[in-house]
Amino acid sequence: MRRFELTAPDTVDAALAAPGTFLAGGTTLVDLMKLDVLTPEHVLDINALPLHGISTSDGLRIGALERMSDVAAHAGVYPMITRALLASASQQLRNMASIGGNLMQRTRCSYFRDVAMPCNRRDPGSGCPAIEGSNRMHAVLGTSDSCVATHASDLAVALVALDAQVRLVRTGGERTVALADFYRTPGDSPEVEHDLRPGELISEVLVPRLDWAARSTYVKVRDRQSYEFALCSAAVALDVVDSRIVDARVAVGGVATVPWRLPTVEAALRGAPVTQEAFEDAAAGAAEGARPLSHNGFKVPLLRRTVVRALLELTQEERA
Amino acid sequence: MTTRLDGPMKVTGQARYGTDHNVPGMLFGYVVLSTIAHGEVAAMDVAAAKSAPGVVAVYTPFEPLELHTPVSMLGSTWVPLQNTEVAYYGQPIGFVVAESFEQARDAAALVEVAYHELPALTSMAAGLATAEDAPPARDGSPPSLAVLAPDVESIEHALAASPVVVEAMYSTATQNHAAMEPHSAVAIWEGERLTVHSGNQAANLQAISLADALGVEHSAVRSVNPFVGGAFGGKGHTAVPAFLAAAAARELGRPVKAALTREQVFTATAGRPATVQRLAIGAERDGTLVALRHDSWSSTPMDRSFIEPTSHGTSREWYTTPNVAISQKMVPLNIPPTTFMRAPGEAPGSFALESAMDELAVALEMDPIELRMRNSSLAPPGKDLQWSSKHLDECYAAGAARFGWAQRTPTGRVEGDWLVGLGTATAMFPALRFPASVQVMLRDDGTAEVATSGADPGTGLLTVMALVGASSLDIAPERVTAQLGDSTLPAGGLSGGSTATASAGSAIMVAAPKVIDDLLALAAAPGAPFEGVEVSYADGHVLAADGRSLTFGEVLKATGRPSIAAIGSSAPGEELTKHSFSSFGAQFCEVRVHRWTREVRVSRMLGVFDAGRIINEQAARSQIIGGMIWGVSAALHEGLEIEGNGRLANGDLAGYLIPVNADIPEVDVQFVQYPDTLHNPLGARGLGEIGVVGMAAAVANAVHNATGTRVRHIPITIEDLLED
Repeated sequence: MRRFELTAPDTVDAALAAPGTFLAGGTTLVDLMKLDVLTPEHVLDINALPLHGISTSDGLRIGALERMSDVAAHAGVYPMITRALLASASQQLRNMASIGGNLMQRTRCSYFRDVAMPCNRRDPGSGCPAIEGSNRMHAVLGTSDSCVATHASDLAVALVALDAQVRLVRTGGERTVALADFYRTPGDSPEVEHDLRPGELISEVLVPRLDWAARSTYVKVRDRQSYEFALCSAAVALDVVDSRIVDARVAVGGVATVPWRLPTVEAALRGAPVTQEAFEDAAAGAAEGARPLSHNGFKVPLLRRTVVRALLELTQEERA
Repeated sequence: MTTRLDGPMKVTGQARYGTDHNVPGMLFGYVVLSTIAHGEVAAMDVAAAKSAPGVVAVYTPFEPLELHTPVSMLGSTWVPLQNTEVAYYGQPIGFVVAESFEQARDAAALVEVAYHELPALTSMAAGLATAEDAPPARDGSPPSLAVLAPDVESIEHALAASPVVVEAMYSTATQNHAAMEPHSAVAIWEGERLTVHSGNQAANLQAISLADALGVEHSAVRSVNPFVGGAFGGKGHTAVPAFLAAAAARELGRPVKAALTREQVFTATAGRPATVQRLAIGAERDGTLVALRHDSWSSTPMDRSFIEPTSHGTSREWYTTPNVAISQKMVPLNIPPTTFMRAPGEAPGSFALESAMDELAVALEMDPIELRMRNSSLAPPGKDLQWSSKHLDECYAAGAARFGWAQRTPTGRVEGDWLVGLGTATAMFPALRFPASVQVMLRDDGTAEVATSGADPGTGLLTVMALVGASSLDIAPERVTAQLGDSTLPAGGLSGGSTATASAGSAIMVAAPKVIDDLLALAAAPGAPFEGVEVSYADGHVLAADGRSLTFGEVLKATGRPSIAAIGSSAPGEELTKHSFSSFGAQFCEVRVHRWTREVRVSRMLGVFDAGRIINEQAARSQIIGGMIWGVSAALHEGLEIEGNGRLANGDLAGYLIPVNADIPEVDVQFVQYPDTLHNPLGARGLGEIGVVGMAAAVANAVHNATGTRVRHIPITIEDLLED
């Protein structure tokens, strides 16, 4: 780790006025600083800022500095959020990691994390070894010829399914952006990962009220049962009336460069019966546009199967 | 039951491992690694590093520390910085020494290296065609050999004449021990004498190898490592940080600490080779084996220093068959060094052999346990020396009853969304022992000490030695302490080859009677309490013929001796001409495979083992549990991915998966206890390595039972079981 200057502002205004890299739980930033991937000269410890609180009075509002474990333990949080959080990292990391930091976490691509290797995301224009290299964990959706790195957050997948927004504050103002628009697919400029502008800070996550998301889940498929990133995951919510699907939310993770909403699957589910066959039909187009790499072709069928599994798990009672 | 004696120290942080030693004036070293796999270091620009804050010295092949290649019973050990050749990605090529670890690491990042790069050979598959014959096996047998029935022309003829034949290729992944404690050292010179604190499997061997590398007398080096944070074969050889720290400390006149980072451990130490294995088994329709052919290929680094002997470790000895042929080849690659790793040969070899046996059982429509029992051997094929004590059938019978094997169907069963299968496999590991010397000391406070130079890297040897010492001295275990991990102690107790209990234990059984004899002589000597009286020893007391008795502590006090000690030595000998020796086991597991997303989860595990006498059941169980978990890890998680340029794609614990607690169910371990006093007086055979043997095959066989899919490589991952 390189030398850096650490300050700890105690107001949002002070934090926004000072140049530097924000440090919350530190579970990504410190990790990447140890690897020399990030070498900030100024680090701003924002843990003293008043960005806390979980409110469920009208939809869900989560302060950016809430810890993953605290949000997961909150009774008023939609099940798909709780499950996505509990499927993330380890208890120790969840106790430290903040919600805002979770949304800002960097990819786990091993080339991104190894400064001896080229990486367009870390060092624009240097190249992408993953495209021809070790890419089993990489994305099949939202990729470009410059980057195929997978977005790592489980929480973001659930939030995108729920139309969540992030509130971004800056000196003298703020704006609210849909999380689905916040993230950027790599295109020709993979170093631009999101719509957070210099001088902005995520202050809050807003999830619109969606009562039927009480019936929701998050299924995460991975190489071991805990403490591992997703090969594929699915956040699914269903509004079922009289054994018919009225509405659906489906987003997937582990397979795309950003949290990936599946509107065509949602559309196919609307009006469909609650049957395995209907789910398989709806999921058939889940991987539309996928561009498999040399070692991750299995993610295409796995994506369909993960969606079907999540839908089945959500409707065990109806189908029984 | 005595619990692990060192447990409280370890869980309270009182146990001091190598890098826990901090001494005044100590410097810190950081190792610089190559970023090419093959070629030559053309130049290293160290100017920036040398002028960085706190830097005291930068060593490179151009400004080296002088080190000589040491040779021991484990073979020669590579020492860094002696030339500019690069043979693998991540090879140590420099050493930065600074006032703090952070300064050394930061300065190391400033070293600019220029290479003359050459094409690298890194693909095992591509190298199979040009594989070389492996050197002779550890027992001296040639890489290829056949034992054929008198009238049989070749193994191919025997296979052709077999009514049922299965034949397949199997492969296993490159692995790393990934022990909890990274390789490290603290080196302290006092005048001409060096003390090194460094986790290693045998303090006396480490001291000798350091002395030879540094060109000093063996007696000038003391190696100290009472606690070792896991070794598993990966700390048999002296590690790079120990050589560099010792040599730099001598040059700089200050103590030096050096530790590899977790990522560096994956390349700057050594791991388990990848293997490819071809099995062909011919059998009668009743399951009786007719012929067994096992051809093996092992990856090896370019210095060809170590191969994984998969055929010799398994098919050569495991089953009765009139015809067996094995071969072992190696594929030299630009990969990090390879070395012993828990059950070298047996672990990956058993994956292939025991998968093939399962395939044969399927082909015969026969229960896999019945097939194994039918072909159980009385002796290795073609050898006259029968197993000294073999109760493998009992392991299988007891295990099958305990595991509910009778409920298994040939096509598994379905529980909700999970496909459930059962699998089994045989485990064997040769029972060996090495020469060992142990000192047994009686003290005037009524306590005793047993001491040898070897290591307890978590195996339980310390506890075992205290228990064997107590029983040999006929006193309570609480009165005996054990000392390990110091090269100044008698040479013995090397942690390797699953030998330590049998080796050191046998030596204790020699030393204890000697020290008792010395005690009795002392007690009856002129001026002593029992002068001129006939004395005997029992229960910690010297007993006189006239009815008096004194504890040994009282005798020592009365004679003015704080302590007396004797060294006993034991080594394998005549028994090797009479029997063959092995430990045995039956592995069972149940897996669940998700119907949709195809994750494999192990839901039950059982191992039943015949390892002779069990000295301490807790330590023995822990050893076996750890080994069985290693087997699950090999089957479902572990594998280093070597890229075309020789870089490890997953050379850290984020990418190199090992199981977490959630992956491992309750592990059931049982022992059938038949003390094997034909092997050694203690009757205990090794069990450090056998726990991993067979487990990966048991998992793969259970996966087949659950899904009908036969996966012939490990690790088995989701895509192996996923249809479109």
